[in-house]
Amino acid sequence: MTQSSDEPLWDVVEVSKAYPGVQANDRVSIRLMAGRIHGLLGENGCGKSTLIRLLSGVDRPDSGEIRLSGKAVTLDSPTGARALGVATVFQEFSIVPSLTVAENVFLGRWPRRAFGLIDWDTMRRRSREVLAELDIALDPDAITSTLSVAQQQLIEIAKAVAADSRLIILDEPTTALGLEEIAQLHTLLRRMRAKGHAILYVSHRLDEVTALVDEVTIMRGGRVVSAAGNTAVQVDAIVSAMIGGDVKDHYPKERNSRPELVLEVKGISSEAGVDDVSFSLHRGEVLGLGGVLGSGRTEIARALFGLDPLTAGQIRIDGRPVRIRTPADAIRAGLALVTENRKTDGLFFNFDGRANISSASLPRFSTFGFLNLRGEVAETTALARQLELSRGAEDKSVLHLSGGNQQKVVIARWLLSNARVLILDEPTQGIDIGAKLAVYRLINRLTAAGCAVMLISSDHEELLAMSDRIAVVQHGRVTDIRAPKDLTHADLVRAATTKDTPEGRTAA
Amino acid sequence: MKRFLDAQLLGPLAAMGLVTLVVALSTDRFLDPGNLSNLALQVSIVSLVAIGATIVIFAGGIDLSSGSMVALLTMVLATLVKTAGLPLWPTLLGVLVLGTLLGALNGVLTAFLRIPSFIVTLAGLIAYRGLALMFNAGSPIFSLDPNLEPIFYGSFLGIPLPFYYVVLFYGAATVMMINTRLGREIYAVGGNPAAAKLSGINVRRVQTWAFCIAGFMTAVGAILMSARLNSGSPNYGQTLELQAIAAAVVGGASLAGGRGNILSTLVGALTIVIVQNGLNLNAAPSAVQNVILGLIILVAVGVDMWRSEIARSIGGLLRGRMSKAEEVRRGT
Repeated sequence: MTQSSDEPLWDVVEVSKAYPGVQANDRVSIRLMAGRIHGLLGENGCGKSTLIRLLSGVDRPDSGEIRLSGKAVTLDSPTGARALGVATVFQEFSIVPSLTVAENVFLGRWPRRAFGLIDWDTMRRRSREVLAELDIALDPDAITSTLSVAQQQLIEIAKAVAADSRLIILDEPTTALGLEEIAQLHTLLRRMRAKGHAILYVSHRLDEVTALVDEVTIMRGGRVVSAAGNTAVQVDAIVSAMIGGDVKDHYPKERNSRPELVLEVKGISSEAGVDDVSFSLHRGEVLGLGGVLGSGRTEIARALFGLDPLTAGQIRIDGRPVRIRTPADAIRAGLALVTENRKTDGLFFNFDGRANISSASLPRFSTFGFLNLRGEVAETTALARQLELSRGAEDKSVLHLSGGNQQKVVIARWLLSNARVLILDEPTQGIDIGAKLAVYRLINRLTAAGCAVMLISSDHEELLAMSDRIAVVQHGRVTDIRAPKDLTHADLVRAATTKDTPEGRTAA
Repeated sequence: MKRFLDAQLLGPLAAMGLVTLVVALSTDRFLDPGNLSNLALQVSIVSLVAIGATIVIFAGGIDLSSGSMVALLTMVLATLVKTAGLPLWPTLLGVLVLGTLLGALNGVLTAFLRIPSFIVTLAGLIAYRGLALMFNAGSPIFSLDPNLEPIFYGSFLGIPLPFYYVVLFYGAATVMMINTRLGREIYAVGGNPAAAKLSGINVRRVQTWAFCIAGFMTAVGAILMSARLNSGSPNYGQTLELQAIAAAVVGGASLAGGRGNILSTLVGALTIVIVQNGLNLNAAPSAVQNVILGLIILVAVGVDMWRSEIARSIGGLLRGRMSKAEEVRRGT
């Protein structure tokens, strides 16, 4: 606030940090101005996280200097960094689910009365003030675990404000948020910018970054490859700086749709909120499902896959009606589901890559209950080669694989199960551009082989680029099915926010 | 996969070697052939019950009911053979079936009624002991059948029969865990039940099977216990469930589920029995033995929890030494 606009609040000067075997940061400089939102971008492993760790006091740099308002400071612990006004919202929240909103806002700094007793009145009053200041409509007495992920995220930010932090670092804050919630978060961040906070914003979702930030710093291989002001805040420019080249095939879409129908869904409803949904899927086709988080896209996938019981409707595969009551039925019918959370319900971290790949094909590999281990090795190895999985990934615990390779393992599982219809729920969430490209190429390969794909994605660019047709989902209903060329980014956003589209429903 | 398993066996084997060395040095009676064969007989019952305990742990559960179930099954066996005068062999078969059914009950309560297995089997631990006391007014029944004792004390080619049981059941369990679909599904369910469900695995059925196997192995243990003493008693099998779980844990089975090697449980059982044997030979009172068993479980679980840290610090030490060696070579 008293800062002149050209003097940085935090000035990181040529810091380097090495971990065993890797130079994670190599003479990295970044200037964070008060009253500006600064985007920090780069592929996984480019050194962003390391820089955040240095600024949050988690790690200390080997060399270089970090200055606060021109004075060199030492950030020797997270507590020390907080005391200097740095608040970091990590991907994994640091809030306690069983406590109230107010308790979390003042976590670890609860106002005290005599004898160390907590001053509840002051804490409630001050958290109400902080929440009001940020225009966050939350009850300070609500138990945090009853709130949505998005609301919990807001608490993290309220925490930063309550601690009087001048610098707020957000690491991938929108991975778990829907469009409306992202918009709400952005509004909040803009308001904080106006109040003179410096904000460092890390995200993989370039469309939202370009909509929000004032300047970007791009890192690659531990170095800053484009400092603030050098790259236009615009998707194509950022992408080419990030991956170090021009990306013509940012979305390498191939059209492989054939006339034969594979999947016909007629009027299905489920208790989880799917409401009279009909669509069809052709061989080699990619059907995108657009809509906001909570619009019912994931629920449609769950209903198809036998996870939520159907209350009405019919599913046909290759013209034959099928009854799907369990995932095992769905897999037998030729369906496959790659869920949104590969860490929680996709991967077996107790298994190597091989057993992860074969987990949905065990019936095929067994005779009288005995597994054909040799066949399993042969087929999984061949598949791993085909998908260009990192070397030896089949024999390593998947814990040690990169996000992109983990995603490949999960998709490989369904290639091995001979799936005819693959449902991908947010398949590129939280993975870097290189790995995203690999997923897109995989989609192409699958469709070229005649597999049909149902793509659920909150990344509208991706949805528009990779789909042959797009079904817009709202409140558990498919409100519209159209070719991507007849839809724009704006249409999808509008469909996500308005109650109904005037076009109504067009059958597939 | 094979290399993976060998590496898992190595730690428990080293621990067992160390324990054996210490015990052998503490008393020269340890290596006495009589003592060794007694030790083998002693380990057989624990190690067989531990197969079930381990498989339940692999599937992500825990079975605390086996010790009391042994008591109940010995009393059922004794009552049927001695009081009701039923023929021995069909009765033994019946005991195996009953054990399996009681295991199935544990499984159904856990998997289908979603009561945590810790609670289900804790209830079993208490209730089965009570049920066992309802037979014969709570008194043991002796001298069951002349054909019962040879099941435990008989030998074939000069080797006691329990040795063959251990080899047979551990062989079968190893084949099951590595080569069968059920074994793989047990590891999958224990490792990540949500992912297992999405892979089309019937999680509840797999969990129930794991408990059925545990019930069956408990019945095997009960039969051997009856045969060893030619009797049934409501006091048999006290803390057997804990020894079985300890064998699994000392063998390196992760209590979080999904990880471990069944053969390591045999090593774990041997380790525990060797320690007990060493304490006996050194005339340690049974109170001390309990304290030591407690400490062993604590250390084994600690090692399980801190495994990654321990590996990292050992790795760090090695790296540090290597880089120092390099410095020396470079003459800096």
